[in-house]
Amino acid sequence: MALSTTVSQRKMIRRKAPRGFLKRIFKRQKPHLRLETSSDLLVHLNCLLFVHRLAEESRINACGSKCGVIKKEHVLAAAKVILKKSRG
Amino acid sequence: MAYNFSPDSEPTTRTLLRQVLDTAVPRTPRRARSTRSGCWSLHSAQRDLLETPSSRRQRSQTKMTARRRSHTATSVDRLARVQASGHLEEQTPRTLLKNIILTAPESSIVMPEAVVKLVPSPQVVQPSRRKSSRGSLELQLPELEPPTTLAPGLLAPGRRKQRLRLSEFQQGMDWGHLSQEPRENADASSLTSSLNLTFAMPLQPQSVKRPGLARRPPTRRVVDVGTFLQDLRDTSLTVAPPGESHRTPVATVPMDTVLEDTQPFSQPLAGHSPSVHHSLPCPSPSGAKEVEGAASRRTRSSGPGLQNSYSGPGKPAQLLARKMEEVEAIAMGLPNTSSVSGEDGIEPLQNGVGEEAEESMEESMSVREVEKAAEEQGSARAEEPEGHTEVAAAAGSLGAIEAKEPEGSSEDEDTSASPELPPSTPEFLRTRRLQFPEPAPPPSTAVLPSELPKHLSARIPPRPRIPGSRPRQDPNKAGLNHYAKLFSFYAKMPMEKKAEEMVEKCLDKYFQHLCNDLEVFAAHAGRKTVRPEDLELLLRRQGLVTDQVSLHVLVERHLPLEYRQLLIPCAFSGNSVFPSQ
Repeated sequence: MALSTTVSQRKMIRRKAPRGFLKRIFKRQKPHLRLETSSDLLVHLNCLLFVHRLAEESRINACGSKCGVIKKEHVLAAAKVILKKSRG
Repeated sequence: MAYNFSPDSEPTTRTLLRQVLDTAVPRTPRRARSTRSGCWSLHSAQRDLLETPSSRRQRSQTKMTARRRSHTATSVDRLARVQASGHLEEQTPRTLLKNIILTAPESSIVMPEAVVKLVPSPQVVQPSRRKSSRGSLELQLPELEPPTTLAPGLLAPGRRKQRLRLSEFQQGMDWGHLSQEPRENADASSLTSSLNLTFAMPLQPQSVKRPGLARRPPTRRVVDVGTFLQDLRDTSLTVAPPGESHRTPVATVPMDTVLEDTQPFSQPLAGHSPSVHHSLPCPSPSGAKEVEGAASRRTRSSGPGLQNSYSGPGKPAQLLARKMEEVEAIAMGLPNTSSVSGEDGIEPLQNGVGEEAEESMEESMSVREVEKAAEEQGSARAEEPEGHTEVAAAAGSLGAIEAKEPEGSSEDEDTSASPELPPSTPEFLRTRRLQFPEPAPPPSTAVLPSELPKHLSARIPPRPRIPGSRPRQDPNKAGLNHYAKLFSFYAKMPMEKKAEEMVEKCLDKYFQHLCNDLEVFAAHAGRKTVRPEDLELLLRRQGLVTDQVSLHVLVERHLPLEYRQLLIPCAFSGNSVFPSQ
């Protein structure tokens, strides 16, 4: 729990979508497919919702374990649930 | 507006001169009128007289009243009559000044007026200038003025009233010209002063045509009385050449008739602009600008002093050109002005512009330099201002142009500046993005020196590194890091760094699943392109999009406006929907 190992909650975030990153990651995974215009934004939206759900779930886990800091286990436990939920 | 009246004023002044020359003996106002009532030129002369006094009166009074009169016809009639009565009073100060300065024989006529008119003391200074410039003309005016007052009653009241309205508009114009002319005289050498006498005739129409310019003079009015007196003497000696005025009345008369009926509002502008603008490339915009100019005049009337400084960038160059023209005219002698009878409206304007230009040159050289610079920036627009200046009404247009040109220059600057900025900024972003993913020690050292020299150095070093040392995962990690930050934001709790790494792993897994799912969806639809429908289906299967919560709702909730505009179809002007469905 040293301070160096914790990351404080971010007050400010960039709402800009890393569209280049999203396109690149999709192209890297599926080079034979192409993303239509502005569908990368929907991917971004999907990812946002996923992160949102994951964060909430992990927060619930952290609170359930009466811990003020989100630990790796909490995230892992949340990821199991959320990844299963977010299957296509 | 001004155009219409300008022709009237020209013939009248000329006719007045002729009459004066022909009949040295001053007539009583009523006699002159009774004799003249039949003739067109006589009417025009009366109108001029009406206009001039009315203008004087307006100058003395607030110009707002004149505008109101023009707008409301009913009130205008009454006001016009009142003005007519006032004209007699106004004339008196002029006549008094004339008598004092010139010691003209006509003092007998003046005397009664003087008794009536002691009230407008502030006006006295300006009329004196005008008298000085016109000299002989003004002497005639007192004779004609009384008929003008009588005119409304004798002739059809409606037309008279309209004429009075026109006179109201012209009043402001006349004042400006009058004030400007004396200055010019003072500035100019003896030769110019003699020329001014001839010019003064055409200048009056100019003043009528250029309301905006006309209003400038009041600010500049600081003129030496001695110079005026000298000019007056010169003018009185040289007054002789009436020949110039002869042709103009014929051409101008039809204009007057049309204008009077239509009245000074927007209609005359449309009719006049094409006729007057011989050389204008684009008459229609000029007309629009004229209208704007009319509006601007009203606003500027309050602060005429500013106009000098504001004088459009277009003006100086034009003025210079016109000065050249004037010089040529001087070399050629007065006949130039007379010979160009076809372009009567234009030449006087040019002369007036040139004179104004001289004034402005003398007054402020630095201002012109700045204006010239502005002109250079908006070279494309330079054509427009030239055309406008040529036109008599350009005075208003000039004001509009003046306002516009600086804007245009600023726009140009913005455009020039803006393209520079965007390329630089994205480069920075790129460089920074590239720098972040790089391993800590080497990049940090490299980055710092690069940042210090700023753009150039920063651009060069990061790019070469990208292909060589960067594995592809680093940019990938940067993107994942972005979502990890989002995670810490949504979590609303502090989190361990290991947890962050875990989140990135989860995201990596998630993207794999996502890509697989999308591939399956696209393949199922027989497509090789992933379309938004596939993603909507994915969201629906993930339970994020339901019947209660649609995709658009999610977009509105979670995405900023610029992305929302790209995703949610919205109707725009032109019967178009942007993200076409």
